Amino acid sequence: MKNGFLVFLVSLVVLGGSWCGFVLAPVLQLGGQKQTTILNSSDLYPVGRPGMANQGLQVYRANGCAACHTEQVQQDGVACDVVLTSAGKTPLAVTNAISSLKLTGLDKGTADAAVDKINAAGGKAEIHITATGPDISRGWGLRHSVAEDFLYDDPVQLGSVRIGPDLADVGTRRPDANWQLLHLYAPQSVVNGSAMPPFRYLFRVQKIGGEPSPDALNLPKAFTPPAGYEVVPTAQAEELAAYLLSLQADVPLHDAPFTQPLAVSKP
Amino acid sequence: MSDETKSSIPPTSDTEPSVSRSTVPVWIIVLTLVLLFLGMVYFDHHSGWFDSQVYGPYASSEELELYQPKSGAAALLARGKAHYDQVCGLCHGIDGLGKPGQAPPLAGSEWVNTKGFERLTHIPLAGVSGQLSVKGQTWGLAMPAMGAAMSDEDLAAVLTYIRSSWGNKDGPVTADEVKAARSALGAHPLPMSGNQMSKMPE
Amino acid sequence: MSTNAKFGGASVPASRLVSSLAPPGEISSTDIDRSCCIPLLALFGGAALWLVVGSVLALIASIKFHAPDFLANCACLTYGRLQPVADDALLYGFCLPAGLGVALWLLARLSGTPLRGAIVPIVAANLWHLGVFVGLAGILIGDSSGFAWLEFPRGGSVPIFFAYLLLALWSIMIFAGRRGRTLYPSQWFLVAALFWFPWIYSSANLFLLTSPVRGVAQAVIGWWFANNLLVVWTGLVGLGAAFYFLPKITGRPLQSHYLALFAFWTFILFATWCGIPPGAPVPAWMPTLSAVAAAWLLVPWLAVFLVVWQTVHGSVRSSWNNTTFCFVGSGIDAFLLSGLMLMAMACPQISRFTNFTWFGSAETQLRLYGFFAMTMFGAVYYILPRAVGLEFPFPKLARVHFWLSLAGIALLVVPLAIGGIVQGWKLQHPDTVAFADTTKAMLPFLRVSTTGLLLMLLGNLLFFANVMGLTLRWKIALLKQFIAFVKSPLETTSASASLRRDKEVRA
Repeated sequence: MKNGFLVFLVSLVVLGGSWCGFVLAPVLQLGGQKQTTILNSSDLYPVGRPGMANQGLQVYRANGCAACHTEQVQQDGVACDVVLTSAGKTPLAVTNAISSLKLTGLDKGTADAAVDKINAAGGKAEIHITATGPDISRGWGLRHSVAEDFLYDDPVQLGSVRIGPDLADVGTRRPDANWQLLHLYAPQSVVNGSAMPPFRYLFRVQKIGGEPSPDALNLPKAFTPPAGYEVVPTAQAEELAAYLLSLQADVPLHDAPFTQPLAVSKP
Repeated sequence: MSDETKSSIPPTSDTEPSVSRSTVPVWIIVLTLVLLFLGMVYFDHHSGWFDSQVYGPYASSEELELYQPKSGAAALLARGKAHYDQVCGLCHGIDGLGKPGQAPPLAGSEWVNTKGFERLTHIPLAGVSGQLSVKGQTWGLAMPAMGAAMSDEDLAAVLTYIRSSWGNKDGPVTADEVKAARSALGAHPLPMSGNQMSKMPE
Repeated sequence: MSTNAKFGGASVPASRLVSSLAPPGEISSTDIDRSCCIPLLALFGGAALWLVVGSVLALIASIKFHAPDFLANCACLTYGRLQPVADDALLYGFCLPAGLGVALWLLARLSGTPLRGAIVPIVAANLWHLGVFVGLAGILIGDSSGFAWLEFPRGGSVPIFFAYLLLALWSIMIFAGRRGRTLYPSQWFLVAALFWFPWIYSSANLFLLTSPVRGVAQAVIGWWFANNLLVVWTGLVGLGAAFYFLPKITGRPLQSHYLALFAFWTFILFATWCGIPPGAPVPAWMPTLSAVAAAWLLVPWLAVFLVVWQTVHGSVRSSWNNTTFCFVGSGIDAFLLSGLMLMAMACPQISRFTNFTWFGSAETQLRLYGFFAMTMFGAVYYILPRAVGLEFPFPKLARVHFWLSLAGIALLVVPLAIGGIVQGWKLQHPDTVAFADTTKAMLPFLRVSTTGLLLMLLGNLLFFANVMGLTLRWKIALLKQFIAFVKSPLETTSASASLRRDKEVRA
């Protein structure tokens, strides 16, 4: 190329292209997103985090938690399970039909065929959709993370390495604020061999006043402060714990469908 | 060539490197075109064509629709029960037996045990006022339109639950039927009277 | 050696130290080199300092894996703050200013015009380093923005942005005033790079920090920015430098103009679209586009390989003595290797084992340090003595630096890459491997990579010593010139003979 201007023009077009693709398009497609509804319900999702949890997000950001933790569940695939709901008037025929069928981990076509067979034998069956993948098997979530999960987050803390476990659904997995506070103060006390650094500066070791503080941590022997002292979380620690508890992504959505376990619909 | 850091400062003008003008080998152009084609095929198969609902393991919106769980009977009942307990059970009783002075029973009620369900769906959507006979007893209370605020799916779940609980063995009510009833009634329906209800088809 | 002889054999007045005022048509490359002297000293000197700072902090961060309690009581030194600071010190503290300095010098040389108005680049360089300081300090006190590679708070990002604009403007002005009409390939790469950064940096800061977009679109823009800075910008400047130094040192012509042009176009066209990781919580078209672009990166990869191979093969042994050649050559090898890693990470079958693991860190470190920093080392070792007109104080240490850095980056990257795959394999088998075991399994690998970081730190210290030593030598030479200048008018007056004696005693 002889012309410096041509170099500039080519760069402009090329960078403009990827800017349109990965800056403009996501802003247009995702930036105006609103709440969606939970699958087969009219409940809105997501509901905004409570105030303390929002401040906890800022504590999470300031301490660089995203350097070790991710907040995105991955899903490798989806599978159908066929569940018998009624044996009808001919249970023997239905049992015969079932004995020859594989009922779990099917694709949709096979599952539909199995249901037809059961219906023909006089029973009733339904298909349950489940997400599959190592993250799901590990209990890190019930389905892959989607844009709606991060609708109210600023900044979005997706993370990129899993030196520590994924936190997208940690509020469902570990709903106990005390466990979270203990884990922040002394990770090795609750997780054996943890590589997580202790966040002692988020806590205060104070002399026990007339009565022990109700917020004082109940630490195992190796980690208790000297006699007469107690460990109390600061506001930042409580906010961070509130944020971690608010990290729940266990409802089915249109873009992340699964059959909700029958435990019960949300109150 | 001696090590340049050991050498003395070079002469005042050293020449800039030159560049040859040999052509680009053809095979790299061919490879580029082949890769472009393969890439576009991959994009066609995996991108969902810019659909904002298609994520990760799903390859297209058709596949996503295929795997949408139909609300199975069990799930529907669970949902219906949850909403019933919260909204209806306060007056009609968690056990469906009603409360004297509050609400008539639903278990074995002729208004519930019907073949059709058009009239039944109208009750929570419009409400009832005035005299009404249920299982031989006369009730003279007013029922607000408790189902008006619920979504079609939720109300259908409640009605299905009512029709299959406490000895009732009737068929389910679907969301579409609730929707049809809602549009037939209009935006602010007046509560129905006992007479109106007897005249309605089931 | 008298001060005069140090400047190429001709007696040079003091004004020549600061700017070149050669008559038109008689500009020698020495004039061009000297015209860049102070801006380059400012840029490279600060860069060397941040390099050492970054290496020390990276080492401390790495040690925390083996001893989580190490320095854990101070909020400023927690891993989550330290690791981003180490990364940003390497990128914004060393890589960017060194790249800008090399671009400035290369554009001046290839344009055949000296740098004029050097005061502006000098101010810009100092503004840059001030911005880096404020930015890094901001992260340590908890003001990080939360986005990878964009952590600087506004107090840091604004000075950096304006400093870049000034330096880029000055470089473009040199380029616009060039004497020849045909462009050498490096000039395309560098001009594109100068244009690239302001757009991506301002877009990222605007859409993520100034008026943040909603939800996960933030992550997409963050990934776009990081990719365009770490892959495209470093690739452009690094390749621009390599395509200059390799033919220059081997004495062979660059093979060839059209292949380099092809590499340039395909590189920017495809590499700019990489960056969205597979399986990200965004609509599928985004990671798919990035995966396809990464696969298409094979084309510029092959083109660069061909250009380098055809230019250099046969001359490697004879050029091996030249330290710059060693640095730039190993830099290109690292570029090619990290390109392979990038392409592998986009492959669906491989990404399941490399996603969310140390493999990604290994690729980034190989690219930033193994490719870009090494190329910059080679360039600085070549450029700075010519710009200043003085030798490095410890020229032999440059070679030691090379071996330390090479060993260090190998010991850092190889265990992280292998360990990353092991970690990925374990993450994919939840039935057999508990999560706690994945962390434990990484520790032996991390031990080796910590050693690698230590070697890199030692090498960087040698670089710092050389650059600082040269700066000191320059300052001393300047001082001596000034004293000589003050002395010379007095030599003609006899009345001040006694004064002269006094001065000689004092000097």
